[in-house]
Amino acid sequence: MSEPVSPYRAKVQQREVDEAPPTHAMPEKFGTEEWQPATSGGRLSLFTITLLLGLLALFAFSIVDAIWYLQGAYVESPVLAVVLSVLLAAFCGSLVWLVVREIRGYRAVNKYLHRTPDLSALAQGDRHSAIKELNQHAATFSADSFAAHRFRQYQHSVQDDMSAQETVRLYQRMVDEPVAIRAREIVRRESMISGSLAFVSPNHLIQTLTILWISLRMVRRVAQVYGLRPATTGNWRLLTILAQNLAAQSIFDLASDEIANQISGSLTARFVENSAEAVAAGALNVRLGKALIKLLS
Amino acid sequence: MITQWFKPANNNHWADWFLKEHHRFTITGLSRSGKSTLFTSLMTMLKYRSEGGYQCLPLLEYLPAELVEHMWVEPVDGFEMFPLENHMQALAEQRWPSPTEDVYGFKVVVRLRQTHGVKKHLLPYTDVVFEFIDYPGEWLTDLPMLTKSFAQWSDSAWAQQMNRPQRDYAQPWHDAVAEFDFDQPPEPDAVAALVGQYRDYLLNAKKNGITLLQPGSFLLGDTGFDWRAHGFTPLPSSVSSDITHPWTKVFDKHYRYFQKHWLTPLKNKTFRQADKQIILIDLFEGLNHSKQHLYQLKETLSYLAEVFSYGESGWFSRTILRQQGISKVAFVAAKSDLLPAAYHDDLLRLLKQVTEGAVARIQDKPVHYEHFLVSALQATDPGSTSTSLRYRGTSRQYIEAEFEPLPEAISAMSAQEHFPVLPAQVPDDYLPRILNGRGLDRLLQFLLGDHHE
Repeated sequence: MSEPVSPYRAKVQQREVDEAPPTHAMPEKFGTEEWQPATSGGRLSLFTITLLLGLLALFAFSIVDAIWYLQGAYVESPVLAVVLSVLLAAFCGSLVWLVVREIRGYRAVNKYLHRTPDLSALAQGDRHSAIKELNQHAATFSADSFAAHRFRQYQHSVQDDMSAQETVRLYQRMVDEPVAIRAREIVRRESMISGSLAFVSPNHLIQTLTILWISLRMVRRVAQVYGLRPATTGNWRLLTILAQNLAAQSIFDLASDEIANQISGSLTARFVENSAEAVAAGALNVRLGKALIKLLS
Repeated sequence: MITQWFKPANNNHWADWFLKEHHRFTITGLSRSGKSTLFTSLMTMLKYRSEGGYQCLPLLEYLPAELVEHMWVEPVDGFEMFPLENHMQALAEQRWPSPTEDVYGFKVVVRLRQTHGVKKHLLPYTDVVFEFIDYPGEWLTDLPMLTKSFAQWSDSAWAQQMNRPQRDYAQPWHDAVAEFDFDQPPEPDAVAALVGQYRDYLLNAKKNGITLLQPGSFLLGDTGFDWRAHGFTPLPSSVSSDITHPWTKVFDKHYRYFQKHWLTPLKNKTFRQADKQIILIDLFEGLNHSKQHLYQLKETLSYLAEVFSYGESGWFSRTILRQQGISKVAFVAAKSDLLPAAYHDDLLRLLKQVTEGAVARIQDKPVHYEHFLVSALQATDPGSTSTSLRYRGTSRQYIEAEFEPLPEAISAMSAQEHFPVLPAQVPDDYLPRILNGRGLDRLLQFLLGDHHE
C-alpha cells in the first residue's frame, strides 16, 4: 500500500487479508402474494371422526343389544363383545384426545395472552432484548398465519444499526398494525354477513344458529390472522361475550316482535323488524370482534 | 378524475395545489461531503423501492410502499438534469462519481394512492414531489461574502489565514504578498499574478482538508466564475484601508462584480427558498488531519447557518406569498460506514460538537433539528473484531482496519495523532450495497414526517 506520509501517528492499524469480501444480497422484496387462511384440505377432522365413531358405537351397541335380546346369550357372544369393546375404546380414546387437545389449546391461548410483549416498555430497553422478546412472541404464531407472514417480512427489514425504539416501531408497522387491520376487515365482513343472514332468516331459531355459526367462524378466522391455531380459541372470556351476544340478540328479537305487533302485521312492519334485527346482529358481531382483537393485540 | 377537470384548461397550477405535496430540500454540503453520492443513492433507493418492491428504507413510514403507484424523475426548470446514469455507470466501472463542477436539478415525484373513503374518489392520488439541487460545494462558502464589503472580507480573510490550520498552508502566499510591489499599477498581468498566487494557496489548503476557503468559486475550472478576468485577493490592511489606493479600487470593483453578477444570481437560483435543509458534513476529513481542522469545520458551519432563512412559515406566506423559511434541519455525518459500528455513538457525539455553533444560531427559532449518521453506500464490511472493518483498497486488495477509540471531544483529540481516511474503493456489488445503505430512511422520515421531537 502506498499511503501518504503523515506527520501524525495513525490511530488506525491496517493489514491486508486473504479472504474475499462478502457479497451483499439485494434486499428482500415486499410480499406481493396475498395471504390466505389455511384450509383444512378436505380431510375429516378429528371431531367429525369422533362423532362418527360415537354414532357407530351407539349403532353397534344398539345392534348388540338387539342381538343379545334376541339370542339371550350374552356369555355366548365373545366376538361381538370384543368388537363392541374396540369400538367403545376407540370412541372413548378419541373423545379423550379431543378433550386433551382442547385443554392444550386453551393453555396455548393463555400462554400467548400472557406472553404478549409490552411494546412501549420494549422500545425503552436495549435493542437485543427487544429483538429477543419479539422473536419469542413470534414463535407462538402458527407458521401459515398472517402474523407469521408479516413477521418474516419484518425480519428481512430489521437492520443492525436500528435502535430498540426503531426496531419496535418497525415491528408495529410491519406486524402489529397490518394484523390488526386484517382482523378488523374480517370482523367487518363477517358482521355484514351476520346482519344479512339475520335479515333474511325466517325464524328466530335459524337466526340464533346462524349468528352462532358466524360468530364462531369469525373467532376462528381472526385467531388465524393472529397466528393462533383454529382449534385453540376456546377462551372463556370470548365465549362469555358470545353468550352475551346471543342473549342480547334474543332480547332484541322479543322487543322488535313487540314493536312489529304494535305497528301492524304488514309487510312494512316485517321489513322494519328484520332490518333492526340485522343491524343488531351486525353490531353484536362487531362487539365480539373488537373484544377478540383487544384480547389478542 | 379531478386532474381531467383541471387539465383541459391547461392550468396545472390548480391541480398542483390539490394533488401535489411539495418538499423543497436544500442540501448544504461542503466540497467532498458526498452530496452527489447521496443523491445517486437516494434516487436509486426510491426507484428500487417503488418499482422493484425492494424492502429498502424500512424506517420510512411517510411513503408506505403499499401505497406507492410509481415514481419518476423530472428536471427542474432552468437546471441541467442530474446525471444519475453517468454516476451509476461510474460506480459500475468501480469509480466514485466525479465531484460536481456545475449545478444540476431534479425532482423525484412519488405517486401515492389515496386510501381515505371520500378523498379516494375526489382526489385519487397524491404526488409527493422532492426537489433537489446539486451544486459544487465550493460555491457554498462564498455566500457569506454577499453581506460584506471588500474591505470587511479582506480583513476577515487575513484574520483566518493567521490562525491554524489555515496558517500552516498560507506561508507561500504570505511571502508572495510581502514581496509584492503594491506601488505598481494594477495592470491585468500584475493582477493575474497576485490572483494566481492566492489561488495556489486556496488549492493547497483545500487539498489539505481546509473547508473555509473564500472565494471557493475560484477553485473550480471553467464552469463557474471567470476569476481570470475579475479576480481579487485579500489585501494587506495598509492597502485595503486606503480606499483611494489603485489596488483597492480595482479589487473592490471586481469584488462588487463578483457579488452582483455571480453570487446574487447564484443565491437566487441555486439556493432559493427551501423548507427543509440537510447539512451534510464529512467529519473524516477533520479526523484525518487535526483537531484544528475540526474546529475550523465548526466555524465554517456556524458561518453558513447565518446565510439561510430559518423559521416555520404559515399557509398564507407559503402558498400565496411563496415565501418560506427552513423549518427542519438535519445535520448529517456522511460516510458513516468508514467507521466500525462500535464507534458510531462517538461519531454522533462528535457531529453534535462540530455543529454546536450552527445549532446555537437556529435553536431560538421555530426550527426542528436532529443529527444523523448516514452511509449512502455500504463500502465496508465488518472486520474480525467489533472495532475493525474491511474494505477494498486502491489496488482492489482487501484490507482490515483496526480503529482505536475516537476522542470523547474535539478538545481531547491529540495534536500528534489522527484517524486516516480509509481509501475505500467502490465494491463490485455496489447496487445491493446502495440499497442496504444506512440512515437515509431515518433522515427522510424526520424531514417528511409531521411529528417531531
